[in-house]
Amino acid sequence: MSVNKHLPHVYVLPEDGANRQLARGFQLDVDGAKQRQMQVLEEAGGWIAVLEHFLADHVARMASNAQRFMVLLIDFDNKQERLQEVKSKIPGHLTDRVFVLGTSSEPEALKTAGLGTYETIGKAMAEDCRQETSTIWGHELLRHNAGELARLRHQVRPILF
Amino acid sequence: MYHFLVIRRFYVHNFRCLENFELPISGQSSVLLIGKNGSGKTAVGLALQVLQKIARGTNRVSDLVKPEDFARGRANIPIRFEIEIELKGRLYGYAIALGWPKGRGELRVWEEEIRVGGELVYTREVGRVFPNIDFQLLALPIIQEESVSDPVFRLRRWLARMLILRPMPSLILGNSRQETLEPNAQVTDFGAWFSGLLAHAPSAYVEIDSYLKQVMPDLNDIKNPLVGRDSRNLEVQFSTDQGSVNLPFEDLSDGEKCFMICALVLAANHAYGPVFCFWDEPDNYLALSEVGHFVMALRKAFQDDGQFIATSHNSEVIRSFSDENTLVLYRDNHLEPTRVRALKDVKVNGDLVSALIRDDIEP
Repeated sequence: MSVNKHLPHVYVLPEDGANRQLARGFQLDVDGAKQRQMQVLEEAGGWIAVLEHFLADHVARMASNAQRFMVLLIDFDNKQERLQEVKSKIPGHLTDRVFVLGTSSEPEALKTAGLGTYETIGKAMAEDCRQETSTIWGHELLRHNAGELARLRHQVRPILF
Repeated sequence: MYHFLVIRRFYVHNFRCLENFELPISGQSSVLLIGKNGSGKTAVGLALQVLQKIARGTNRVSDLVKPEDFARGRANIPIRFEIEIELKGRLYGYAIALGWPKGRGELRVWEEEIRVGGELVYTREVGRVFPNIDFQLLALPIIQEESVSDPVFRLRRWLARMLILRPMPSLILGNSRQETLEPNAQVTDFGAWFSGLLAHAPSAYVEIDSYLKQVMPDLNDIKNPLVGRDSRNLEVQFSTDQGSVNLPFEDLSDGEKCFMICALVLAANHAYGPVFCFWDEPDNYLALSEVGHFVMALRKAFQDDGQFIATSHNSEVIRSFSDENTLVLYRDNHLEPTRVRALKDVKVNGDLVSALIRDDIEP
């Protein structure tokens, strides 16, 4: 039965193992009764692969299931233009339900910055969402996500918290 | 957050493939053991099970280990098990050495030691005479405690209530004649565990029901009626708009029985925990879409209290853990002992699961 597809649910498509571990940490902080409304998918293997997987495997299913939300978790590799590059490929009828998030460089930098393990960072991200704070999302490696995060909080927060 | 129960140290020597082996799980609320077939994952569970059996009352050494359990037949070296646990801020330690003098006769106790808060509260060793107990028997199960607050009682109860699980769903029928809080590894006494848990804490049903309704939304009720003078048989009722159906527990699918076991583990951790749970390959019998949720539910339930250890080869389970809480067990051949390293200290090129499939993990 996995996620209950008749209820609002969130798929997270991570670029790599580091992003997957961030997502798992996030999931550990999601309310127990709602944990199944979040599914972390197999890591794609690069931001381009995330986009390719999304377009090939998820667009059609999302179109037929309005309860599905999608987070593309990528590395921005210090390229500010990447957000628009990815968003420009998302079909217009899905833009409200797809969110593009990630570290401004790569997740390893979050560890180097002393924020903890990927799981503890992911948990802190979830805690911020739950409390509507920006303790970790305000970090210089993550603050560029503010716009997407505001949309995410509005739409996804009630699903998971 | 402070974690109220963890194994601080677990050391095994000369038992099967475990030689001078220490499991680095201190401070981790959940841990995954990965490694190739024969690397020693299951042996870790078997070693823990020896301590569990002692605490559950088996005290004859020959009922706990066999001559073939000595690593590579080295019967001249004792098998050692040492465990240190922290229970609500207090350290408890239990250590035994079991030997087979001259490779004949009955196996015997070489050393036995209990420590509480760093202080020795019981010790015996070979060569010293203990008139009340012979050396084929361990003392832990028979030491008289003064009360339930006696530290020896607490240590023994905690060890006895460790959940070491290798479920065999086809053997789980749901019938019971008694109650227990100490299920066996195959969980063939599921019915007794269910009865024992609800007798101990009736409110546990709420948690069992809550979890199961997430994975089986059409679940309505679990009944455990008397079917004889002193025996019970579990029945599960499902209902939808179309009606309802009562199924004997034994008619559930293997995967559904595993959901039931998971529900009891979650409830047990609250009802009489914090508990330690070692689940050998929890992904067995589960649909791929369920594996991640199953493991994450256990990980979440244990993150504040108790400790959960899984072994697995399943990619979804592996992806449910992180580099810090995944341990790689390995050995070069059957003559070499098991070694262990945290995945964070192992070089992995690219995707972990792909590297495992390619056999490119080089600890």
